[in-house]
Amino acid sequence: MDYTFQFAAVFEELPYLLGGAAITLQIAFVSFWGGAVIGLFGAIAKVYGGGFWRRLASGYVVAFTNTPALVQIFLLYYALPDAGILLEPLTAVLIGLVLNAGAYLTEILRAGVLSVRRSEIEAAQTLGMSGLQIVRYVMLPHIAKTIYAPLSNFFVWLVLGSSLAALFGVEELTGRAINISTVNLRSIETFTVVAMIYVVLTVIASSALALVGRLAFRVKAKVF
Amino acid sequence: MQHLEIDNVCASYGKLEVLRDVTLSADKGEVVSLIGPSGSGKSTLLRVLIGLTPLTAGSIHVGGERVDYSNRKNLKKLRGHMAIVFQQYNLFQNMNVLRNVTIAPVKIKKQPRADAENKARELLEKVGMQEKAEAYPDELSGGQQQRVAIARALATNPEILLFDEVTSALDPERVKEVLDTIRSLTDEGITMMIVSHEMAFVREVSTRVAMMDEGRIIEVGPPAQIFEEPQQDRTRDFVSKILSH
Ligand SMILES: Nc1ncnc2c1ncn2[C@@H]1O[C@H](COP(=O)(O)OP(=O)(O)OP(=O)(O)O)[C@@H](O)[C@H]1O
Ligand SMILES: [Mg+2]
Repeated sequence: MDYTFQFAAVFEELPYLLGGAAITLQIAFVSFWGGAVIGLFGAIAKVYGGGFWRRLASGYVVAFTNTPALVQIFLLYYALPDAGILLEPLTAVLIGLVLNAGAYLTEILRAGVLSVRRSEIEAAQTLGMSGLQIVRYVMLPHIAKTIYAPLSNFFVWLVLGSSLAALFGVEELTGRAINISTVNLRSIETFTVVAMIYVVLTVIASSALALVGRLAFRVKAKVF
Repeated sequence: MQHLEIDNVCASYGKLEVLRDVTLSADKGEVVSLIGPSGSGKSTLLRVLIGLTPLTAGSIHVGGERVDYSNRKNLKKLRGHMAIVFQQYNLFQNMNVLRNVTIAPVKIKKQPRADAENKARELLEKVGMQEKAEAYPDELSGGQQQRVAIARALATNPEILLFDEVTSALDPERVKEVLDTIRSLTDEGITMMIVSHEMAFVREVSTRVAMMDEGRIIEVGPPAQIFEEPQQDRTRDFVSKILSH
């Protein structure tokens, strides 16, 4: 059976797809930064916190890193309305991904906090630096450098993982691809183009992150 | 009045008593060396002096003023007069050489960056590292890093300099360059306290040598006494053992 590829029908919808790609990036950004804030507190709780906070953070990490993000979002989406909280699909996806990212980022950031050499902190103290100056000039650069690679990988994972939003009817890149293909009946072409857009997104994202890492933290990351 | 006075200082790590009634002083510009076996408390004494390890009893006076280590302002002031160089250099790995040397003058003493950099380049020239101002610590040899660490300590214009086995982590051929650097500082009026196993060096540069054992200072005297006519058997044993190496 011969199949003639017809990309023209897909290219017509390129602006629509790129609009979806923008939403994909927004979901990834919100999840990333929301998760980073939670992760920072989680990491500090795990490294420096007392019994209660440490256990709370550990329990949270265990719960969220051992269940699929998709299941977490389903639970939010279907269980919360029973408690009287109705969520828009996008909101449910964002909350779910933020909580999920927070758990992974807790672990990633914890490694960063632990990587700071005590001897450098002591050297900074003997030079007369204040606690805040030590965090800013000595600790943060080390944390950033250590967690830099897993952090970039995680961001790429979020860009790709945000496609599960399509299951809840969110019109991000994958959601829009489904919409198009049910109309134009050109699924192979549509998803081929969409796959390429994902590649472009992740390459741009990781190159941008590598560049930031290189300029700001002297990480020897390959930009391309 | 002595420049630095240590009176009956005690310190412990948990239950382990590491310093027991240590009393020692240094006149302005004196070079006092601490020798003694591993674990005798030499590093701990220097750490107590600069406020990294708390003292549990006794007192320390600098320039006649008692240091209150629990007072943040007082501690900061002390660290403005006193600097330490560690065995493992402890340079800031994320900063280049110039920034390692200028960070304290710029961020703590609030000097204009240009002035601090000029001064830093002079200091780097003095320790023979002017060519490496833009290099990062991980691009330097141990001896080079240690010379940068000395420049970093000097950048705060210390009146008192502490050296803790600054050559122990170095290859033999690198030891000389670091010792030469320290030697060149001994006639600048800086009071120094040097922990070292380099006995020939200790003997040459010290005005006095203190022998430590099990947290106590068991003998203090000019180098000629410690190395030729030690009053304590323990000192004689230690010195002869280490010299025969
Ligand atoms: N952070 C620490 N926690 C617990 N004990 C410590 C700590 N640092 C040092 N000690 C102990 O305190 C004692 C004195 O140590 P210190 O480092 O002052 O000795 P030292 O004379 O400098 O020895 P070395 O020549 O090996 O450097 C040792 O018994 C050591 O094991
Ligand atoms: Mg020591």
